Formats: sequence, structure tokens, C-alpha cells
Amino acid sequence: MKKVVSVSLGSSRRDHRVEVELLGERFEISRRGTDGDFEKAITVLKELDGRVDAIGLGGIDVYLYAGKKRYAVEDGLKLMSVVRQTPVVDGSGLKNTLERETVYYLREHTDLLPPGTRVLMVSAVDRFGMAEALHEAGCEITFGDLIFSAGIPYPIKTVAELEEIAARILPEMVKLPFHMLYPTGKKQESQDEEKVKKFGHYYQEAQVIAGDFHLVRRYMPVLSGQTIITNTTTSADVEFLKDKGAGCLVTTTPEFEGRSFGTNVMEGVMVALLNKPWEEITPEEYLDLLHRLNFKPRILPLG
Amino acid sequence: MASHAEITESLRAFVSGYAKNARLKAMNRDWDRVVLVRATDIDSTHTLILKEGELSLREGPVEPADLVVTADSETLADMFYGDITPTEPYMNGTLKIIGSEDDIVRLDFISLMIWGE
Repeated sequence: MKKVVSVSLGSSRRDHRVEVELLGERFEISRRGTDGDFEKAITVLKELDGRVDAIGLGGIDVYLYAGKKRYAVEDGLKLMSVVRQTPVVDGSGLKNTLERETVYYLREHTDLLPPGTRVLMVSAVDRFGMAEALHEAGCEITFGDLIFSAGIPYPIKTVAELEEIAARILPEMVKLPFHMLYPTGKKQESQDEEKVKKFGHYYQEAQVIAGDFHLVRRYMPVLSGQTIITNTTTSADVEFLKDKGAGCLVTTTPEFEGRSFGTNVMEGVMVALLNKPWEEITPEEYLDLLHRLNFKPRILPLG
Repeated sequence: MASHAEITESLRAFVSGYAKNARLKAMNRDWDRVVLVRATDIDSTHTLILKEGELSLREGPVEPADLVVTADSETLADMFYGDITPTEPYMNGTLKIIGSEDDIVRLDFISLMIWGE
């Protein structure tokens, strides 16, 4: 049996373990949250190195993208560097393929994303593929990168402006401790009430809210039937979204035993299936594998 | 070591760079803050005041401050002239900023929007 483990800076309360069969291979997929403890994450990564088939890094992005530029988060690189033998991925390679495909699927097979749909992407530099696909689909997008990561009430409205601002700030911002830019550990279990009050209207004005679930959750006000497109959700998250008044949940990664795992886990599974260094895997190979696995977005009406 | 006058000039350049950036002013309309800038190796204190998106400079302290920025005079002058970014001195401890984490990120952001590539 192949073993894939996600080591996350997120809460250990979301830990989970499942066994699944994919393309004739048995997989044990599990998650180990370290509650925002960076040193603990390093210890766990060292323990797992050489003992499992692939490791996913969760609760942190190693690579952020804007246009053709890639920015490496220093804390993410530090975590990656302690793993010497086992392939280690952060999900960014797969995101670029899988999340574009999700948008194409929704456009072609559902009525959730007609042209002109007002979309709030809480953060786009961690899923630029989705941002570009939504733009291609003719959505009217508000990129909330500055709003939710820096507390600056400035909605970015175009991909070009997103790229321009990213080029100015990301080369330096990626050097800051990751917890200053993204909710880690216990922060993932609570809402930032001040920002919910201040920035909640961006959610309420949108028809679709897309992006990383921890960001989506942390600033979410009461909704009125909006669709949420995101990645990692648990049964408790689904209940949270229902309570808030979301209308529909779309997850980009498939559901195993009631929850969808992060893209880092799924990328780890794919790396284990392809059995080659992740740096050599092309988007076409991910796409081919996605089709062979018949992965489709999960669409869950909540109303 | 930079002099008080050099720090003053660097802060004027910073304020001038800010004033030319209409987008940055719009971004900071909601962020009224008093930022004290103090050198650790010479007697030099300045105050940056952000109010309704406009940034102004005063020599000397204005209390109470929301953020206190301290570093040696050379680092302060280099940083406000845009010769170095605040991230590296902040990470290696040369630059200390006392304030909320959100405010620190935002101050870093303003600097990058003025001087970033």
C-alpha cells in the first residue's frame, strides 16, 4: 500500500486518515496538523522522510504565482528543505491544472458560472490558474488579496493589476513569517470578527466566493445563497457554510469518506502514482491522470 | 552612521513618493495611524502621520503612537530612501517595529508600493 501524508501547519483537529483504491493501487492518505507549530512540522517531516511515498505540505504555500512569475515563500522552502528522500509537494503544481479544470467543468456542465458572474476570490496568488480560468469564463472578479491578506480595503479588479501589484510586493512579502500573511493553527478555527464586519460586504456583493477555505471561512459574514468554490472541507465546514447561508459548495478535490483533502495531498497521490520527480511532471501529465482518475468537482447544494 | 538631517531627508523622500501615488492614498483612506520613527544610535525622532489617506511628516515625537519603528540611523535612512526594503532588517532584528501584526504588514506594504520593483 502506498502512503501519502499531508503535514499541515493547520489545526490538528482536522486530522484524518482514509484508505482508497486509485487506478488499482491501494493508498493510505492521512493528515497531520501541527497547530501552527513550525518546529513541530519540521520534526514530523524529518520523521516521515524516507518512510512514506509522498508528502504534501498543507497550511502553507511554497509557491505563489502571478502571471508567469513564481514567488517562493521562504518558510515553505525551509519546510521542503528538511525532506531529503521522499517527494514533497505543496499542491501548487496540481492546482494550476485541477482548478482550471474545475472552472471549465462548472462553465460547461452547470449554470453556476454564466458570463458576468460576480466572483470574489479571497486570494488569487495562491491559485492563479483558477483566477485566469474565471477571467476566461467572463466573470466579473474581485481579487481580495490585499483585503484579506493585508487588511487593505482595495479590491483588485483585473488580472493585469494583480500581476503588477504582486510583482511589487511579493518578492519581499514572501520573506515574512508565513503566519503574518495567512491564518495558521488556532486562527483557522475562528473568525476575525472585526474584518468580517469591515470586509463582509465583499462577500455579500458576490454571487460566487472562491479560494482557500481557511481564508473564505475566516472572513465570511451571513450570506444569501452564494456558491463557494474551494478545496479542503470537512463535515463541520459544510455545516458552517449552511449556517452562514451559502447556497452551494463546490470542492475542487474529490471527497473521501465525507471530506475533501487539500490539493497538496492530491498532488502527493499523483506524484506517487506517476512515480517520477515532481519537478518533471508536466501539466499535461496531471491533466491526463485527472481524466484517468475521473476526478470531477464535488457539487453540493446546501440550501 | 546617518545624521538626523539625512533621516529627515529620507523621510521627506518617502512622504513625497507616497504623495505621488494616488492608488496608495486610496488604499489607505481607512488607516489613520501615528508612526514614530526613532534612531537607536543618534538623537533623532520623527513622526509620520497618516490621516484619511494623506501622509505627513513631523520632526520630533507625537504621542500616542500606534506604531514605533526603531533602527540604527543608517538603516532608517536607507530604508526610507528605498535603498533597502524593510523586510530584511525586520527579519534579522536590525529594525524593530512595535505595533499590531496587521499594522506591521501594512507598513511594509506601503514601503513596497512606493519603492518596490
